[in-house]
Amino acid sequence: MEELNNIAPELSKIKKEKSFGTPDGYFDDFSARMQMKIEAEKAPVVKKEFRIINILKPALGLAASFAIIVLLVYVPLNTFLNKEQPNKQATSNEYPQTEFQSILEEIDENSFFALLNEEQNGKNDFTDEELQLYVSANFSDYEIYEYTEN
Amino acid sequence: MTESDRQIVSGLKDVNKRDLAFHTLVNTYKERLYWHIRKIVMNHDDTDDVLQNTFLKVWKSVDSFREESTLYTWLYRIATNESITFINSKKKKSMLPLNEVNEYLLDNLMSDPYFEGDEIQLKLQKAILQLPEKQRIVFNMKYFDDIKYDDMAKILDTSVGALKASYHHAVKKIEDYLTNKDLN
Repeated sequence: MEELNNIAPELSKIKKEKSFGTPDGYFDDFSARMQMKIEAEKAPVVKKEFRIINILKPALGLAASFAIIVLLVYVPLNTFLNKEQPNKQATSNEYPQTEFQSILEEIDENSFFALLNEEQNGKNDFTDEELQLYVSANFSDYEIYEYTEN
Repeated sequence: MTESDRQIVSGLKDVNKRDLAFHTLVNTYKERLYWHIRKIVMNHDDTDDVLQNTFLKVWKSVDSFREESTLYTWLYRIATNESITFINSKKKKSMLPLNEVNEYLLDNLMSDPYFEGDEIQLKLQKAILQLPEKQRIVFNMKYFDDIKYDDMAKILDTSVGALKASYHHAVKKIEDYLTNKDLN
């Protein structure tokens, strides 16, 4: 102590007080916490059970990710493309009633009947032989008999 | 070695008594080791981590304890090594240059809610933190804990002469820091 006074008078003036503290009850709890840590250390490490699912897990994960990516790309793309197609179809197939009537009004009577006859003539444009073949292929003898009797 | 230490050691070597002996060891040495570690790593939370690691290491290496040294010096040696390892790992993680380690420890001290010292004590701690690591440990062990040089030599694996020189240099540097008020 005397030596310290000689070589370090400023230092020897400072009281050796405890300048650090701990949370309340720290040392009381410490033993219990340490005991738990040791118990955990003693517990044997459980080996992972060998299952086929463990082997397939990475592959399944990859497949699932791929499916999600496809869904994310395909669904919006499909919806986007379908939005354009129905418009085209609507113009070609769906004739609004009013538009159809206005077209009919514009055609004169003679041209209308000429068109109708043309269509009918086109429909009947087959020979007796073709008709006979069609009937024999699609109807039974009984059905033909019944039909002709009526 | 004291009689109680001898009982602890023989209990640790006996598988049936090991748990109880370890419990006694923790209760006997937890406070002394805590304060030793705290003066090296400065902050309470870090000290708690290092103290747990120390006892865990003691538990794992109890079979390798040869009774050539006392239980007390063996425990202090493990605690000191764990503290230095802890600081080195912090140094690596934060890529701190060697001279900034002391600044890191000073920040640790300043941000620690459990530092209860007054201005003079803070100044003393700052002075101690200016020292190189080994000198700092030697100074703390001699100045605050009054550990014998012989025991320190066993704990730090150094000669008594080197320890005396280290302590002397440390005291001189601290005195210079405390007297040179302009720099503080």
